[in-house]
Amino acid sequence: MLETPYVTSYLTEHFGEADYPSIEGYERVGGYQAARKALREMSPEDVIELVKTAGLQGRGGAGFSAGMKWSFMPKDDERPKYLVCNADESEPGSYKDRILLERGAHQMLEGILIAAWATGASVTFIYIRGEYAFPADQVERAVAEAYAKGYLGDNVMGTGFHHDVRVTRGAGAYICGEETGLLESLEGKKGQPRKKPPFPAEYGAFGMPTTVNNVETFSHVPHIVEKGADWFRSFGTEKSPGTTIFGVSGHVVRPGLYELPLGTPLSEIVFEHAGGVPGGRKVKGVIPGGMSMPILPAGQLDVPMANEFLREQKTMLGTGGVMVMDETTCMVRVASVISYFFRDESCGQCTQCREGTGWMNKIVDRIERGAGEDEDLEVLLDVAGKMEAKTICAFADAAAWPIQGLLRHFRDDFVEHVRQQKCPFPESFEL
Amino acid sequence: MPTITIDGREIEAAEGRTILQALDDAGLLMNGVDVPHYCWHPKLSIDGSCRLCQVEVEGIPKLQIACDTPVRDGMVVHTQNERVKEAREGVMELLLINHPLDCPICDQAGECKLQDYSFDFGVKESRSKEPRRALKKNVDLGPTIVFDQERCILCRRCVRFCREIPKTGELSIFNRGDHSVIETFPGTPLDNDYSMNVSDICPVGALTTKDFRFKIRVWFLEDVPGICTGCSNGCNIHLGVANNKVYRYLPRRNDAVNDTWICDAGRMSYSEIAAPNRLRECEVRNDSGQLEPVGLDRAIEVAADRLRRLIEAKGAGVIAGLASAHASNEDLFTFKRFLAALGSETFGVAVVRGKADDLLIKAEKASNATGAREIGFGDARTVVDRITSGAVDAVIALGHDVLQEGLLDNEEPLANLDTVILLDTQASEMQRVANVIVPVRHAAEKLGNFVNEARRVQRAVPAVESNWEAYSDGEVIAKLGAALGLEGFDGSYDARQVARDLAAAIPAFAGIDLDSVGDEGRVLAGSAASGTER
Amino acid sequence: MVISEQTRSKIDVAIAQYPQKRGALLPALHLVQEEHGHVGKESTVELAEIFEILPIEVMEVLSFYNMFFDSPQAKHHVYVCTNLPCSLRGARGLLHQLESHLGIKAPGETPDGRIFLGHEECLGACGYAPMMRVDGQYHEDLDVDKAKRILDSLGD
Repeated sequence: MLETPYVTSYLTEHFGEADYPSIEGYERVGGYQAARKALREMSPEDVIELVKTAGLQGRGGAGFSAGMKWSFMPKDDERPKYLVCNADESEPGSYKDRILLERGAHQMLEGILIAAWATGASVTFIYIRGEYAFPADQVERAVAEAYAKGYLGDNVMGTGFHHDVRVTRGAGAYICGEETGLLESLEGKKGQPRKKPPFPAEYGAFGMPTTVNNVETFSHVPHIVEKGADWFRSFGTEKSPGTTIFGVSGHVVRPGLYELPLGTPLSEIVFEHAGGVPGGRKVKGVIPGGMSMPILPAGQLDVPMANEFLREQKTMLGTGGVMVMDETTCMVRVASVISYFFRDESCGQCTQCREGTGWMNKIVDRIERGAGEDEDLEVLLDVAGKMEAKTICAFADAAAWPIQGLLRHFRDDFVEHVRQQKCPFPESFEL
Repeated sequence: MPTITIDGREIEAAEGRTILQALDDAGLLMNGVDVPHYCWHPKLSIDGSCRLCQVEVEGIPKLQIACDTPVRDGMVVHTQNERVKEAREGVMELLLINHPLDCPICDQAGECKLQDYSFDFGVKESRSKEPRRALKKNVDLGPTIVFDQERCILCRRCVRFCREIPKTGELSIFNRGDHSVIETFPGTPLDNDYSMNVSDICPVGALTTKDFRFKIRVWFLEDVPGICTGCSNGCNIHLGVANNKVYRYLPRRNDAVNDTWICDAGRMSYSEIAAPNRLRECEVRNDSGQLEPVGLDRAIEVAADRLRRLIEAKGAGVIAGLASAHASNEDLFTFKRFLAALGSETFGVAVVRGKADDLLIKAEKASNATGAREIGFGDARTVVDRITSGAVDAVIALGHDVLQEGLLDNEEPLANLDTVILLDTQASEMQRVANVIVPVRHAAEKLGNFVNEARRVQRAVPAVESNWEAYSDGEVIAKLGAALGLEGFDGSYDARQVARDLAAAIPAFAGIDLDSVGDEGRVLAGSAASGTER
Repeated sequence: MVISEQTRSKIDVAIAQYPQKRGALLPALHLVQEEHGHVGKESTVELAEIFEILPIEVMEVLSFYNMFFDSPQAKHHVYVCTNLPCSLRGARGLLHQLESHLGIKAPGETPDGRIFLGHEECLGACGYAPMMRVDGQYHEDLDVDKAKRILDSLGD
């Protein structure tokens, strides 16, 4: 089980308590009160309005307004409606959902229950990545406990509302974290994302209206219902309220999880909370939001960690996976690791993504092993450009952006690699 | 009906159609408006993965794939501006980085959409220095298809075809990313009645037919429009002709008959045109009972003598006519007129039947059974009964389909007849009992109309000429009629004139002749579909 | 019949959880793999029958996902994460050490079929790098000695 976060807030403050993962522990600290309030005292429309007003952004990487997404579910449709909890967390650098699953399954379930009430969903499928065996066990245990206590199933809490939860496991494919790739996988097929439109609210899981939300997104919901929109907005920034759990990794003294308000400066996270770079070395670059997000150089780390600020620096919050790289790091090697990942994980449908990820990886690897040529950098940038904004899903963009970011800020590493025909950073991490 | 503007041109589209479909409906796709595409096919589900058909739609920031963008009234589309061209070149360049340099040995060269679009819409030079992926080549995918995994551009047309048309689903894509490959399930080859269509729809030389492999370069072939003669569906085809030889049939699109498909058996039926069992010379049986080769005039003379003697002895009522469901309308109309002028009242048409499916394959295994019936030839059963009961002394037979089980069963019942005159294309047991044999032309060798089972009249034109003396059935009958001095027979035969005569004589054929029938065919009057011509 | 009655019952339970039968295909593949260590051709055919689809449709799903295998596997599976956060903290060096220790190259199997050593993409343990996943279980905060000891403890 993951250790509790170094810094906690309303999502994780009880994670250190031994009984908290169980339903008794969760109820002890007031768990399921918010759900009771929502189902007994609020209409579905009220709940949607509340979450909209609170300004909760999805925490799965796209940052889309959760309340707005819920409002897309059709009102006068007789088809069954579904929710999907996206627990496929596979973004390199992200491990926040894991702890929410391991220690806070009931918090997530309560959020799911409230969302189900708001959207009229009758079933939630919790899709957990196949490698998260232990977290999945924890979730299944929690679901069984919730059913036993009447928080799920027929007649939830005596309100007459019916909701079922099914836990299902992935089998090792990053693309199943993409909304419609997940739906395809849920339906027992290859996880190849769908063309949009139609969007999931119109045609989702098994063809029914569906809303897909991230684990963390659901986890904020009980707190918003219990304490209100104003309270939620007291954390974070005006455009990006609330907290999130940053997962810090790489060259820092204290890699680990930190629940902090959105808008916390990246430098604070890296130097204050995570203790900076060990051995007195200097930071070279930081990837702020999981590996799909473009890197920031040392001089731009004061940026507040919220999308409205990060976008100005040509990057995004993503899933808050903060990866710190010190001065020994060769950025060409970083590009090699990154480009291999995207090549391996492309679903293969779209020409530009399938062939582009392969080509980029081959070029980067060739540069890395000392056989690069001057023109390669232009070709690399050009291929990345050919992949952006032209495919069925955003994977191709996610594959292109990091390379663009690395070339934008660390072009010299590449130039030197080509000029010297070998890695110019003898102390860099081994490949 | 929404109106959209594409490259400044206004087009009316049907509700619910996509941009590509609207262009296709209007006959403009790649024929006035260039939106190159791979994965889209007019008769398969929308895929959206090749990304080549991207176009700019005013008001939408990202480029949209034309194959999956429904038209909306007032939509303005640009297909040839810089942004679109750049996106297209991007897709083309990326498709070529792993494509093997097989053109010199690839059958697809000359009709390859990768070649064509690279030339017209792609980049001129490759910038890739990386080795291409190495995959399986020359794979025996099944009885009819050879597969080259390296050439495949993963457009998924073949996968969708097998799932949606014959619904046999033998093909799939395994793995993911740039390790994706087309595969079959081990032990389950690509084997269905329509398997060779995958070669047509494959834009590149990944799927090619064993039959055509390495035979001839396609740029030597002339594509002659025609009709398949394998069954009464009358699938439209292009005969691929070079050196006065038909090298292959390809389906020709006709949305009212066969869409873009043809069954394998029909596609392979081109082999009957130059088959070794084609009848190649006129023959008459001499007094010793042996067949002797003769010229047409002699054959006609012998046939006329024998018939004349019989008529003088017993009257024309003992002469029966067996029409062929493979002959053209013009052949059959001439034959009908001949029999009427002769005074024969015993005639019919025999049709071989076989398996049928709910796609294209029809039970009647001939291309003009309906035409024969419309022209007045009923079931051959009545003729067969009169033959076996001894009421018939002579038979003039077009073709040998009467030998099938359930009709004559074999040629024996004809052995005792006084005279059997046979006009046929291929050899058969009938030759054993024939007194006069005349080789006739295959549909690919003459101008003629044929009526399919849906009562659509469709035209065949001469694509090749046999290198022996062969004649249309109608031509032979016309000469025979003149030799017998029959009313209305002067020995001449002009298919076009006969077609006009037929149109004037039988109401269902009104207005339909060899010139007015057109390339898509026309339905006979009184048909359910006749009011809805395209 | 290659898929046991017991596994078939579990598959039936899974099927009941989904509005459409095919939704249970991934759970079924996991179950069959739990029983046999891989999903062979015969299992694929039997699964196709259970789900009323073609064997090739089962096989294409099988081929798409990292966690499914279509051929017999080694007794123990050891995957070292070699993605970026782990690589920054020496995961690849660790992997090379383990390769030497076992005398094989990753991805690869020891000659006696005891251990398969491979690399995997991010497993969500970035703060506790380097790490590896052994027979489904996470081992985090590794150093070379600790990792070697874990390998040595894996039975025949």
